[in-house]
Amino acid sequence: MSTSSTRTARPLSSVLKPARNAHVQFLVFGALLCLLPVLAQAGGLRNSTLSTLAFVLIYAIVALGLNLLLGYSGLISLGTAGFVGLGAYLAAYFQDDLRLGFWLALLAALVLPTLIGLLVGVVSLRVRSIYLAIASLCISEILLKTFEQLEWFTRGTAGKQSKYPVVFGLQTDRATMFVIIVIALVVVMMVTHNTVHGQLGRALHTMRSSEVAAQAMGVNVLKYKLFAFSLATLYAGLGGALYLFFLRSSYPSTWNLFMSLNIIAMVVVGGLRSIFGTVAGAFVIFAVPELVLKKLPVIGDVAGLPYIFSGVLIVVVIMFFPAGLKGLADLVRRPFQRLRGDRGEAGPPAARPPDSDRPSPPGAGRAAADQTAVKEGRPA
Amino acid sequence: MSQRAVLSIDHLSISFGGLKALDDLSFTIFDQEIFGLIGPNGAGKTTVFNCVTQFYRPDAGDVFLTVDQSRLPSRDRHLADQLGQARLNLVGRPVHSIIKLGLARTFQNVEVVKELSLLDNVLVGGHVDFQATMAEQIFRLPRARREEKVYRAKAMAALDFLGIGRLADQLAGGQPYGVLKKLEMARTLMAQPRLIILDEPAAGLNDFETEDLAQTIRAIRDQYGCAVWLVEHDMRLVMNVCERICAISFGKFLALGAPAEIQGDKLVQEAYLGEQE
Amino acid sequence: MDLVLQPFLRSLETGSVYALAALGIIIVWRTSLVMHFAQGSMGMFAGTAVAFVFNRSGMPLWQAVLVGVVVAGALGFLVDFAIIRRLKRATSVGKEIITLGLIMVFLGLAPIIFGTDPLLLPRFIASGDVALGRANISYNAIFNIVFGVVVAAGLFLLLQKTKLGLAVRATASNEPTARLMGIPTRTVTLLAWALAGVLGMLAAVMIAPTTTVTPSFMNTVQVTALFACVLGGFQTFYGPVVGAYLIAVVGNFLKLYVSSVWGDQLMYLIILVFLLFRPNGLFGKTYLQKV
Repeated sequence: MSTSSTRTARPLSSVLKPARNAHVQFLVFGALLCLLPVLAQAGGLRNSTLSTLAFVLIYAIVALGLNLLLGYSGLISLGTAGFVGLGAYLAAYFQDDLRLGFWLALLAALVLPTLIGLLVGVVSLRVRSIYLAIASLCISEILLKTFEQLEWFTRGTAGKQSKYPVVFGLQTDRATMFVIIVIALVVVMMVTHNTVHGQLGRALHTMRSSEVAAQAMGVNVLKYKLFAFSLATLYAGLGGALYLFFLRSSYPSTWNLFMSLNIIAMVVVGGLRSIFGTVAGAFVIFAVPELVLKKLPVIGDVAGLPYIFSGVLIVVVIMFFPAGLKGLADLVRRPFQRLRGDRGEAGPPAARPPDSDRPSPPGAGRAAADQTAVKEGRPA
Repeated sequence: MSQRAVLSIDHLSISFGGLKALDDLSFTIFDQEIFGLIGPNGAGKTTVFNCVTQFYRPDAGDVFLTVDQSRLPSRDRHLADQLGQARLNLVGRPVHSIIKLGLARTFQNVEVVKELSLLDNVLVGGHVDFQATMAEQIFRLPRARREEKVYRAKAMAALDFLGIGRLADQLAGGQPYGVLKKLEMARTLMAQPRLIILDEPAAGLNDFETEDLAQTIRAIRDQYGCAVWLVEHDMRLVMNVCERICAISFGKFLALGAPAEIQGDKLVQEAYLGEQE
Repeated sequence: MDLVLQPFLRSLETGSVYALAALGIIIVWRTSLVMHFAQGSMGMFAGTAVAFVFNRSGMPLWQAVLVGVVVAGALGFLVDFAIIRRLKRATSVGKEIITLGLIMVFLGLAPIIFGTDPLLLPRFIASGDVALGRANISYNAIFNIVFGVVVAAGLFLLLQKTKLGLAVRATASNEPTARLMGIPTRTVTLLAWALAGVLGMLAAVMIAPTTTVTPSFMNTVQVTALFACVLGGFQTFYGPVVGAYLIAVVGNFLKLYVSSVWGDQLMYLIILVFLLFRPNGLFGKTYLQKV
């Protein structure tokens, strides 16, 4: 077959460029965020707003883990809050009770939740993916009770108090902790980007799309599901430690199911499989109720409003805008790209949002329908 | 053509809920041959496939694959003969370990990732060749980067070989069926298999595309030096491209031979009576 | 007091509550292949509606429950009609996330519509109990147990003996084929969601007298019903019911004889360990994926 004539020149040196570009974007994003504490000190930003934004970034870290799980692997976890809480209490216990310092406290908050996550995964991921949701809910209930009852570890409902950590001999405060959170977020964004853009990410993609195809391609499905879930719990533990170091207290009631659901909302609203989208989702779900809704006249006082806000957004986004904020951004960007002449002769760029309604040939449609039937694997 | 067996199916049987889907089936596929498995609807063609690739566990029988030394799992190294090859029984091995041994497959319903580009989809086929550990990939260490580069080039070559290289950067979702079929084949080529199984490759293709497919299958065999096993409904394609054909009916062996012999076989004709294409 | 029979009888009562909630989850799962995470929250919402109507209007309890049936059925109907069935391109995971979103919606809506004051709901049978050996059981508990068993048994009869039940089972075993055979699978699914709503409401009304009606009063039922399905397996309709009673009994004894604080948590751990050995549940079979 003589097909070499159709071959387009593709310099292979450009292969790694996208990765570098993305990393530069993350770094610039982080640098801009680091200006916020400076702005706050100059009086241009309220300290309470800075705190709200810090929590947005912490939740963004946790949500990025869940996006790996939900977006790339198609798995649901309902135990996120439990793992974040565990990270927070471990950080406090290691820093304040055992006096082992910032780094060991951070390490403990990363390692132990991940190990528990691995155990839960091994137990639940062998049957159906949905079992992970129930098993993680199970472990989250157990953890919540532990936070309430294990007084020597958590001080129970009275709440665990902590203080700003000393990092590299430097006593941190609100502003420096904010910078540390930003650094952590940028690292997590880079790691996530690397994970999803290499062979790992392709394996996760294939697994979500069709487990049988993934297996036929040599992907050990259980191993990759476990990988995604443990990375998600690792991020959750990190988020918990940062939460504690920033807020300097933790109460059991924080780590309930609704925090887990809010994290899911962040991922869905931000856009599955989008890194910046997840950060934006964290902002919408956490900061908008905090900064905007609560200040509205009349309805601002309604207690259940943030719940309704998150819940309705989940439903509406999945129903009408499955690509989330990321899809919105693409939609806005596309005309500009066209102006710049970014379109290759071969058609629309690969960044086309998955919800685009381009008509596909009947054959492909049928194949897609068949795939779903297979994927859902009804009992024989 | 060498007459060395690449795959031997040995007295394979499986039943579902008391119904015998395969009944004591045996045949052999030789190195670098294009082999066809045919049979009327419900004959158990796809079941054979799924037993070979270990999606189903056969009730009885064995499936032997000739495996190159370089692909042998370490605990099977001692089985290699003086040519550096070994015949491994596939039965009982995990599904995801099969492609590593040199056996790759496509799917009847085209299983590609719609959200990935064609190139990325092909790269999935090279999954087992990636040596970089998860940590190396997460931190994009030198080995991970090097591999990515090497396999990208290889995947690009596979796409070019099948004539869809210019679409490499496009998403698989929304591509015509013919392109997706080729994409699946390109993906199997990434694994450098000794045997490729094509599950109803002509299904959903028009006459022109089917003709093109016949050429593609031959080109794959010639270029990549592997055997190709078709499980197919389209008689014209099978008769046109296969060197030997095995016919089965209700899970039982009917006949094996060159296309002309199969066409003239009484049993085969009987089995197909009432189900004219 | 009998220290075995007494807690056992009490467990049967809570078991009935869990069983009804679990039945709702399983019937939706079997017909739509969606894990109905909002089952408990919808039950909470409809149950709160019953308490609200009962307290405000002064109508008898059974009439308030009838109002609840209408509200719960309509909610389930609405969720499928307005949301789930419109999601043609969403995967099961997408639909499950929607049910998670609905948890938040109902949780936020309940205090807005029914007020933030905790409501009380009386028992069906206000007082009186019978002695069974050295154990006592209230008439209301007997009523709850019998009611749970009757509803579950009625559902099984419906599934096994009626044309509608056949349609449900056909949809459950293979939706595309059932549709091709002319079974109105969309109607079946719609009924399943409505029925799940009613079952959740009944569970809520049964558990309400033991607590106060607040947005969180169904949390334990919600979680336990899901575990009951896992324990019993998702392939049969009776598995989750058995699982529900089993969890209630074992959980109760653990709380009584091992630890009053950690009883439920021990129970959850036991379920996780059990999954390790029997991943498909008590009555589950491994299923073959079509390739």
